[in-house]
Amino acid sequence: MKFILMFTAVFNLVCSANTYAQRTKLSLKLSEATILEIFQEIEKSTEYGFFFKSEDLDMKKRYEIDLENVRIDEVLSLVLKEDGVDYRIEDRNIILTRSHPSDSKYQPPTITGTVTDASTGEVLPGVNIVVEGTTLGTISDINGEYNIEVPEGTRKLIFSFVGMETQEIIIGTSTQINVSMVTSEFDLKEIIVIGYGTQQKKDLTGAIAHIGVEQLENTVATNAHDYLLANIPGLSASLNTSPEGGGSLLIRGKSSLSAGTYPLLVVDGVIFDGDLIDINPSDIEAIDVLKDASSAAVYGAKSANGVVLITTKKGKSIKPNISFRANFGIADMAIQQRPHSPESFLKYRQTAMEGLDVAAEPYKYSDPRTLPPDISVETWLGYTGAVGDPVNVWLQRLNFQNVQIENYLAGKTVDWYDEVFQNGIRQDYTLSLSGKKEDISYYMSLEYMDNEGLVVGDEFNTIRGRLNLEGIATKFLTAGINMQFADRDQSSVPAEWERIINNTPYGSMYNDDGTLKWSPDSDPGGSITWYAKNPFNAREYTDRRRKTRTIFPNIYVKGKLPLGFSYRINFNPSYTLSSNFEHLSSEWYDVEPIGGKASRSYAETFNWQIDNIIGWSHTFKDIHHFDVTLLANAEKFQSWYGEMYNERFEPDDNLGYHSMNSGTNAYVNSSDEYSTGDALMARLNYDLKERYFLTLSVRRDGYSAFGQLNPRATFPAVALGWVFSDEDFLNSVEWLNYGKLRISYGINGNRDIGRYQALSDLQSMKYINGDETGQAWEVTGLYVNRMSNAGLRWEQSTSFNLGLDFSVLNNRLHGYIDTYLKSTSDLLVLRSLPDVTGFSNVMDNLGEVQNKGIELNLNSRNIDQPNFLWRSMFNFSLNRNNIVHLYGPINVYDDEGNIIGKTEPDDPSNWWFIGQDIDVIWDIKVLGVWQVDEIEEAREYGFSPGDFKLEDVNNDGIYTDEDRQFLGYYSPRFRCSFSNNFTLYKNFDFSFMIYSNWGHMDSFSSAKNSHWYPDKSSDYEKFEYWTPENPINDFARLNSSSGGVDYSVYRNSSFIRLQNVSISYNFPKILAQKANVDELRVYFNIRNALVYAPDWVNWDPEHTGPTPRYITLGVDLTF
Amino acid sequence: MKTFNKKVALLLGVLLLSISCSEEFLEPKALSFYAPENTYINAEGMKAALVPCSELMRNEWISEGRPLLTECIFSEVAVHGTTDRTDPAQNMNVQITPDAELYDGGSFNSIGDYWSNGYKSIRYANTVISRIDDAEYTSQEERNEILGLAYFFRAYNYYRLTQQFGDVPLILKEVTKPKTDYYSTEREVILKKMKEDLEFAAEWVPEKVDVGEVNRGAVNHILTKVNLALGEFDDAIQSANYLINGDYALMTERFGSYKNDLTRNIIWDLHRIENKYRAENTERIMLVMDREDMQGGSKWGGMYMRGAVPAFWRNIATPTGRKGTTDSNSEYDLVNTYGRGIARLRSTIYHMKTIWTDTTDLRHAKGNWIEMEDLVYNNPQLKDLGDPWYGKHLQLYSDEGKLLCLDTIYSWYSWPHYKLYVPDPNNVVLEGGRGDWYAMRLAETYLLRAEAYWWKGDLESAAADVNAVRERAHAVPFTPDQINIGTILDERARELYFEEWRKTEMTRICYLLCKTGKPGHNGKVYTLKNFSEDNYWYDRIMEYGDFYNKGVVTINGKEFTISPYHVLWPIPAAAIRANTTGHINQNIGYAGSESNIPPLTEIGDE
Repeated sequence: MKFILMFTAVFNLVCSANTYAQRTKLSLKLSEATILEIFQEIEKSTEYGFFFKSEDLDMKKRYEIDLENVRIDEVLSLVLKEDGVDYRIEDRNIILTRSHPSDSKYQPPTITGTVTDASTGEVLPGVNIVVEGTTLGTISDINGEYNIEVPEGTRKLIFSFVGMETQEIIIGTSTQINVSMVTSEFDLKEIIVIGYGTQQKKDLTGAIAHIGVEQLENTVATNAHDYLLANIPGLSASLNTSPEGGGSLLIRGKSSLSAGTYPLLVVDGVIFDGDLIDINPSDIEAIDVLKDASSAAVYGAKSANGVVLITTKKGKSIKPNISFRANFGIADMAIQQRPHSPESFLKYRQTAMEGLDVAAEPYKYSDPRTLPPDISVETWLGYTGAVGDPVNVWLQRLNFQNVQIENYLAGKTVDWYDEVFQNGIRQDYTLSLSGKKEDISYYMSLEYMDNEGLVVGDEFNTIRGRLNLEGIATKFLTAGINMQFADRDQSSVPAEWERIINNTPYGSMYNDDGTLKWSPDSDPGGSITWYAKNPFNAREYTDRRRKTRTIFPNIYVKGKLPLGFSYRINFNPSYTLSSNFEHLSSEWYDVEPIGGKASRSYAETFNWQIDNIIGWSHTFKDIHHFDVTLLANAEKFQSWYGEMYNERFEPDDNLGYHSMNSGTNAYVNSSDEYSTGDALMARLNYDLKERYFLTLSVRRDGYSAFGQLNPRATFPAVALGWVFSDEDFLNSVEWLNYGKLRISYGINGNRDIGRYQALSDLQSMKYINGDETGQAWEVTGLYVNRMSNAGLRWEQSTSFNLGLDFSVLNNRLHGYIDTYLKSTSDLLVLRSLPDVTGFSNVMDNLGEVQNKGIELNLNSRNIDQPNFLWRSMFNFSLNRNNIVHLYGPINVYDDEGNIIGKTEPDDPSNWWFIGQDIDVIWDIKVLGVWQVDEIEEAREYGFSPGDFKLEDVNNDGIYTDEDRQFLGYYSPRFRCSFSNNFTLYKNFDFSFMIYSNWGHMDSFSSAKNSHWYPDKSSDYEKFEYWTPENPINDFARLNSSSGGVDYSVYRNSSFIRLQNVSISYNFPKILAQKANVDELRVYFNIRNALVYAPDWVNWDPEHTGPTPRYITLGVDLTF
Repeated sequence: MKTFNKKVALLLGVLLLSISCSEEFLEPKALSFYAPENTYINAEGMKAALVPCSELMRNEWISEGRPLLTECIFSEVAVHGTTDRTDPAQNMNVQITPDAELYDGGSFNSIGDYWSNGYKSIRYANTVISRIDDAEYTSQEERNEILGLAYFFRAYNYYRLTQQFGDVPLILKEVTKPKTDYYSTEREVILKKMKEDLEFAAEWVPEKVDVGEVNRGAVNHILTKVNLALGEFDDAIQSANYLINGDYALMTERFGSYKNDLTRNIIWDLHRIENKYRAENTERIMLVMDREDMQGGSKWGGMYMRGAVPAFWRNIATPTGRKGTTDSNSEYDLVNTYGRGIARLRSTIYHMKTIWTDTTDLRHAKGNWIEMEDLVYNNPQLKDLGDPWYGKHLQLYSDEGKLLCLDTIYSWYSWPHYKLYVPDPNNVVLEGGRGDWYAMRLAETYLLRAEAYWWKGDLESAAADVNAVRERAHAVPFTPDQINIGTILDERARELYFEEWRKTEMTRICYLLCKTGKPGHNGKVYTLKNFSEDNYWYDRIMEYGDFYNKGVVTINGKEFTISPYHVLWPIPAAAIRANTTGHINQNIGYAGSESNIPPLTEIGDE
């Protein structure tokens, strides 16, 4: 080695002319070489030596050199000129110095160029071009052209465009730089949000799934929940069926028996304790989901259910961007579930009455106009000694009320289904403004959404606003605010659709005077039995105002410190104010006796958090890269709730909830809560040569809700990554573009058990005492509601994750496979106690649950032609769960009382069994229906023909726990989704997504036909019923007997759903430009288009009740 | 810049503060509920801890699914009359098992409610008993009074549990940590402990208390039952004497709100809601309290009529074959006079006819007792059709002898209106609203003492006590030789229908017959050895009941059955299942009893 590193610039040598230089020619062929390697090579083949200061050179930069027989000065100028380094050749010494910026002859003040799309060759407008390390930038114009002034010392320009790979171009001597952008099929430089920071995709060590612009664009979302549905293997999201949207989310299986399983939400880097409902989906830029222990462990005691990180949009382009999005659509019924038509209802009622009168004469309940020839109407009437109109007699026998008889005779019917359901109109408008000026970037948006549901009167509307602002205060300090505001209105009083089967087609909607008929069938039933009441009663007589307002601001200051340090402080107060006013008018028959009732409640929550984050990033010897994050956090939650209630309004209740004081029987109620938490966290990300990765983290959490014996918990994690495709021995494998192995281990906690579970709480109740004059007064009682548990602590999950990221076949197929094994111990269990303790359960840390599974994600570019692009994504996940321990082993004794071993008891009361899935179904097996020829056998069990035949496993003639079996699972055995995206002629997009949950069951006790009064009500037409003439085996007779056996009926609820169909058209730029818009896109979208569920008859397999299909027409406009 | 710096300083400051005093920072704060440690510190707090026991006590008599219904259908007085569904407890042999639905008497039965609410009440009482000396009192008397009250509630529930379920786990202390190793304790061991406690309570619980509270009379009433159950008849007479010879007296003169209404009588007066609490009502020992428009009132109301009145508004045809009755608006508003019944409790012939041997008895007199024939055909459609039967009295058979009621279990039986009628101002349909109910009444004390005398063989005194109750009702007195355990049970049925714990008391008597060797009214002698195969309770139901094991089938085809082992109810399987490290015995006759182990015969230190 003949390098001399110089620390002074003074250098002088007497030298001869450049004769050696003139005659010496050399050939160099180097790939991916650093500057030092080039110098080494030159030194090897010539007599030259190099002199330079290491900080003048870019040691990490890699060069491709292929030169034949050139002079040394040619080599040097070629290699060095881009880097702003001057050289002098003095004899056999080459001296390198940094070009002085002021006299740099290569640094052009303005760079211009054209940006094109690599796949099509067409110009690409709207590409962001930013000077590296600054906020200076521009965008390409309609012709794909740009020009940008670059300040002194600028090295690179960064070109970025949505859906394209970001390009970093080093500025050379040329003032023109033309760039062709490549579609980002597999972008290793994609920014992935990890907890308390970001990483490029290539640096990840954990199992993190990313949802980017493409999935977001193809989904018309009510809220972010819809983006998560079936898009990420290992994350199961429930189907959204309500106007406001949302539902449950579960990552990598159920790991808790009693605690919450909803993942932690993080928005723009801070923990979000609110509801997804309050985030405008159009504001979302990306969603990242932390699935494995290591990546989530930075969130410690909140991380066991995984973490969903949402990143909202920021201002990016220099040009102010005004964009407007409008969605308009309808929600219509995806699966029809009609109650009996008038005709089938008569048959149903006839069967019901025959079942209630088993000894009835033949055809007693049949229509007298259809009697067989051997039964005369007189005989038929004679059964009950009846006189008069036989039809009238018949209807009376069918237990028709007078109004029903009148309607039947007049041919009047009510179609409750059509009355109660509607096609809901949905609209959603977002206006946003964003941009970036020298030292400030901004994004602001305002949205109005108004969604009607399928049920008449069901409506949700919201106004959601966002302001993301970031400004550079000084060179080393940046401050910003990300603020979200939402105003929800959930005041609607929908019709009570469930009553469509409690009323019959022959009831009346209205009284003769046009007012709503309280009981359409004139069946007073009594106050607590509601079956025959009008579905519109509550809607007609309720005045409701239900509002929720949330503000979620995050104020932050961040800055750079010397020596690679940086810091950030987040202060994040969040507020929720909600009010719920309700007045039930005294005009309502049910309410009249108590003279109207009204209530008025207010709830307020205030929750603050402070994150104090210190970062340190440094590279040693060019190959060791360290990135350290340190966090100190504190949080406090407070809520206040107050309620007033009054009834018996005087002189009347016309003022409703506006005049609570007019009532004469008031009560008040209040409930406040409080909790605190703190945390310290440290994380190290280290990589060697960007090929070997290590992540180490530890977090210590404190939480006031845990028992005071265990207020704190520590959660460590470690992860390793290896980009094996960069290894030499795989260089020759052509088909492999990228391959990385990841392995991680970590401990996560779950603290989601409510704020006061560790404390014994005294609940108050009221009773009455009085005196002998009739005076009475309330006395307050206090009772211990919960057993205290000072030792209560967090639930602890220990998980391994093994993952493989790959990209093959020229990046046409890429994806990942993850497998995991997650053991959750110290489960927060609401364990059953023998009720002789007076408690039915207590929250305790017990047992262990294991989840293991595999997740697969595949992305492929099937066809890539200039005018036709077809891409697919396939996700598959499978989770298996089993209970490893519950309450610990107990001794087993022999007959003499000697210990002969240990066994661990199950908890059959909760259906928890060692070695079984948490979601296992343990019940009596239904074999079919007792048929007429089995009457004797059925009788032994107390059953009659038409009742379900239950398996008596031990043949002892009665049904006990001994007869219960494992029948299946509530949770799907596997889930998969498959989406396809077609782009035609560049502007026309078509995509669809299918997902399937398979292999699970759900209870379907309607099959028993015993849950209501068939002699008074109706039922769904699809629900069959057994009769001797219709001896089916999957539905019981009407009013069947369960023989005192407590059991349910189950049906396989596997399904395949065509969830998303989307067509969109991007108007060509030229066309759009003419209308003075930068971009114009129209789209048509159907969500929940079709579902195939072969064994399921009760509404939707994922939702028992009206389930909508959403059809949306939308437009995106950018000015 | 300056403001930024300030903010940074502030944030850092708050953060540092929070970290530096973090142990304190993490201290949980309960804002809207009380903690036991700082509430059960004085007499008020301790008394408040017992209020939930009173509420649970009331629970027995109220709402459609009232537990008392289950006490009645496990006896000869009534059955579950619900025939428009197939779940209620009728086919006991099939439906009454440890794994069956045992909660909610309206739909199934209330065996499980008795079990879990009984133990819940015991827990509340044990909380006070265990903490009794953690609180400060103004005097030792005050402490002892509260301890006495807690003893009362515990004994009240153990008395019930031992008669309903036999041997059960005995828990005498507050349970403060998860425990799953319980064992059954022998019934008599439990009762002896309860007797001790009640004797303490009888010394300290005052006589003069607010209406609705436990007084010394109530303590002695329950003590009388416990004494009887233990076969300590002299003690039973003595504790009954406290009441009968004390400030209490049967109401024999007209009083209260209907005092001047000559169409009514003392029996009507005695059971009016607004007469129960009156000062002049000396027969009241203790009421469970329920009032309209008070938070302390019951959620659904009493629903006395809904529960026990027949569904006379359906299934009844006129002799012309038309629908005769309705619960809709009508000129003859039967529903709002007698209540819209749904026959959850359907009286037997025994209760409607057999026991009413003389015609002077006010408890079965017209006006107090309603026969179906007292009602009229009220379907307004009849009027429209010009049917002559409109407004005429109901008939069970047409003149041609055709049965006009489709379902006589559900829709046709008579009932004691005087007891069930409770106004229901807050409901759209009369079902039985909120009103005070007799939890204990002196008439029962008389009948308990009569029993004690009978067990002792003192028929004179026994007859005197039975006749005290009979004479007040203007019934013909019994002669001493007429008195036996059967006639005493008959009198209880006449006097205490819908008040007494029919099954509890019958099981107590069954045990005593075994213990004393005295024969039942049927002359049969019973032994404890085969108690679950052969007992007086079952024989009585077979003798008098007209449903169980008589081949009676409901209109929907369901059979009424019952067996001797039902004399003790099944221990709910959930309790046995969750008791993973101990062993709670199951009663003989039910699945699981084969693994029984001998019950504890001593009180442990638990």
